[in-house]
Amino acid sequence: MAKKLKGEQFYLSANDLISGDVVYLAKNKWSRNFNDAIKIKRIDIERYEKIAVEDENKCLIVGPIFIELTEEGKIRRLRDKIRKNGLTININQ
Amino acid sequence: MYKYSEKDKKILKKRTSEFKYQVERRLNGDLTEDEFKPLRLMNGLYLQLHAYMLRVAIPYGELSYLQLKKLAEISKKFDRGYGHFTTRQNIQFNWPKLTDVPKILEELASVEMHAIQTSGNCIRNISCDHLAGINNEEVEDPRPWCEIIRQWSTFHPEFSFLPRKFKIAVTASKKDRAAIEVHDIGLRLVKKNSRIGFEVYVGGGQGRSPFIAKKIKDFLDKKDLLNYLEAILSVYNELGRRDNIYKARIKILVNELGEEKIRSMIEDKYKNFVDKKLELSENKVKEIYNFFKLPIKHSKNSIIPKVDNVEFKQWVKQNVINHKIKGYSVVMVSLKPLGKPPGDMNAIQMNKLSQLSHDYSFGEIRVTHEQNILLPHVENKRIYDLWLKLKKIGLSTPNIGLISDIICCPGMDYCALATARSIPISQKISHSFNNYSQQKNIGDLKIKISGCINACGHHHVGNIGILGLDKNGEESYQITLGGSATENASIGEIVGPSFPESELMGALNTILKTYKKNRISEDEDFLKVFNRIGINEFKKDLYDNPQ
Ligand code: HEM
Ligand code: SF4
Repeated sequence: MAKKLKGEQFYLSANDLISGDVVYLAKNKWSRNFNDAIKIKRIDIERYEKIAVEDENKCLIVGPIFIELTEEGKIRRLRDKIRKNGLTININQ
Repeated sequence: MYKYSEKDKKILKKRTSEFKYQVERRLNGDLTEDEFKPLRLMNGLYLQLHAYMLRVAIPYGELSYLQLKKLAEISKKFDRGYGHFTTRQNIQFNWPKLTDVPKILEELASVEMHAIQTSGNCIRNISCDHLAGINNEEVEDPRPWCEIIRQWSTFHPEFSFLPRKFKIAVTASKKDRAAIEVHDIGLRLVKKNSRIGFEVYVGGGQGRSPFIAKKIKDFLDKKDLLNYLEAILSVYNELGRRDNIYKARIKILVNELGEEKIRSMIEDKYKNFVDKKLELSENKVKEIYNFFKLPIKHSKNSIIPKVDNVEFKQWVKQNVINHKIKGYSVVMVSLKPLGKPPGDMNAIQMNKLSQLSHDYSFGEIRVTHEQNILLPHVENKRIYDLWLKLKKIGLSTPNIGLISDIICCPGMDYCALATARSIPISQKISHSFNNYSQQKNIGDLKIKISGCINACGHHHVGNIGILGLDKNGEESYQITLGGSATENASIGEIVGPSFPESELMGALNTILKTYKKNRISEDEDFLKVFNRIGINEFKKDLYDNPQ
C-alpha cells in the first residue's frame, strides 16, 4: 500500500464496506467528511497501514489507499481530487 | 429471443443465493476482503474510484423490453438513476451498495439476467453483430451460435480460471460490426461450396499490447465448433502465462509462438476431440435456432413517411437502416447526445424506450459494441411517429457513424486505473462538432477514447484514437491515426508526442484539416485518406508547421 508514495504527508482513505462511499480516516473513526481527515506523516505510515488492514478485516472498509499531499498540504493527484470532489462531468440524469 | 430452460433458472437461482450468503459472510467477518474479492468479481462486482460498480451481461447484445424496464427499475431503486452501456454489450451500474447487490441479482434473475461472465479470468459475455438476423448480407443468423457458446462456456469447469480473461465475438457478415479481429477468438460464419461453417480468428486484443487476430482456420464445420473452441482454450489454458499479468492473454501466446505453431498445436488437440466430445447434433442446433425466429411474419408495402422536416430527414438518413424484411427498418438510437457521457442512459429513458420497443419493435432491443442501442424491427410507416417519441426523451441524435458517435471508456471520472479523464474529452468533441451538416461534411469517422493503456475505449482501433496519459501529474493525450475494428482491422499509428488537454482540440482540428485538404472527393472518408497518404502528412501539419 505504501510503496512508491511521493511526498511527506498523506491522508488515509478507503471505501465504506457496505455503501462503497469514499471515507477518510479521521480521529478514531472513518468519516465521509473530508474535513475530518487527519494528516499522516511519512514516518507514521506503517502504523496507519496496520490500522487500515485491521479495519478492512473488521469489515469497516474496503480498498484502503494513502492520498499523497503536496508540501502545502493539498491533494497532489487528480484522481484523488476527483475522488474527493466527485465527477467532473454532467451525468445523464 | 432465447428463453431460459429450467436448468438455466436453477443454476442462476443457486448462484444468486450463493452470492447472498457470501456477502453475509463478508459482512460478519467470516470472509476477509482477500477471500471475498474473487467471489464478488465472479459476480461482476468491482470497486471503482468512488464506489462499487456492478457489470451486468447483455448476452450477445439482446434485450427484451421487460429486461430494459427492469434495468430502469434497478438503476432507480438501487443506483443513481442511470446506467452505462459498454463496448462489450454489458451495462454498468456505478453506485450500488454491497448489501443491495444480492437483491439486484435477484431482480435481474427474475428477467433472466445476471452478472456472470462479466469479470474474472473466465470466458466473458459472448458478443455479436448488432444487426444479426436482420441484415441482408449475412450467411445465417449468428445469435444461436452465441447462445451455443454461452451454454458451453458458462461455468465451464476447466475454463473458469484461465490465465486471463477471454473474449469471444461472432458475426456472420463480411462487414464486421462486432470487432471480431480484436477479440481473443473471433468467429465468422461463411459459406463455402454451399456449406456453412466458421472462419476462426485467434489472438486479437487491445490493452497495452494490441494485436489483430490471426485467421487460423478458413473453414470449420459448424457441428465441430465447440470441439474446436475446446481445443483452442485447452492450448491456452496449458500454455498461457500465469506468471505475468501483462503477458497472460492469448494474443501474447499467439504472437510468441507464431501463427503456424499455434495453428498446429490447436489442430493436434482438435484431432483428439473432433467427432467425439462436443459434436453438436442437428436437433440441438435446431432447438436453439427456434428461439431466434424473427417476430415479423410477412413483408409489407410500408414506406417511411415523407415528412417535410429537416431534422427528421437527417435522422432517417443517419440512423435508420434497411431491415432484411421489406417494409421494416432497424432504428439506431444514439447514446451520444450532445454533452452526455457516451453510452449512458437514464432510468426515464430506459423506461420509455422499453415501452417504445414494446409498441414499435415487437418488444426487442439490441445494444451495440459502439455503445448505442437499436430497435430492430420497426414498420416503416410508423417511423415518423417513433421519431417524435424518441425526440421527446432526448434519444433522436442523428449522428450514427459520425464524429460525435464516440466510443469512450469511463476514464478518471469513475475508474481507479485511469491515467486521465476521457468523458470530458468526448464532450468537448461533441460540443465542438454539434452541427449535423458540419459532421456530415467530415463524413464517416470513428473516434475512440481510453483513459489509460488498458484500452477499454478501443483507442487502438479508432480512426482517430485518443489515449489519456499522466505526464508529471498533468493530463496529456496521445493520438493514434488509422486504426479500424472492421473487416480490415488495423492498429492505429501513434502520430507523435502527446498533447496537453488544452491543446488537444487544436490538434484534432489540424488533423481534420489535413484530412480535408487531401481528400479527393467528399466521399473519401478519413480512413481512406489516411490509408492513401500515410501518417507523415498529418505529422508535418501537427508538429512541423503548427497553425
Ligand atoms: C471498473 C472498470 C474497468 C476496469 C477495472 C477495466 C479493466 C480493464 C483492463 C485491466 C483491461 C486490459 C486487459 C488486458 O489487456 O489484458 C481492459 C480491457 C478492456 N476493457 Fe475494461 N475495465 C473497466 C471498464 C470497462 C468499460 C466501461 C468498458 C467499455 C466501455 C470496458 C471494455 C474493455 C475492452 C473492450 C477492453 C479491451 C479488450 C481486451 O480485453 O483486449 N472496460 N479493461
Ligand atoms: S481504459 Fe483504463 S481508464 Fe478506461 S475504463 Fe479501462 S481501465 Fe479504466
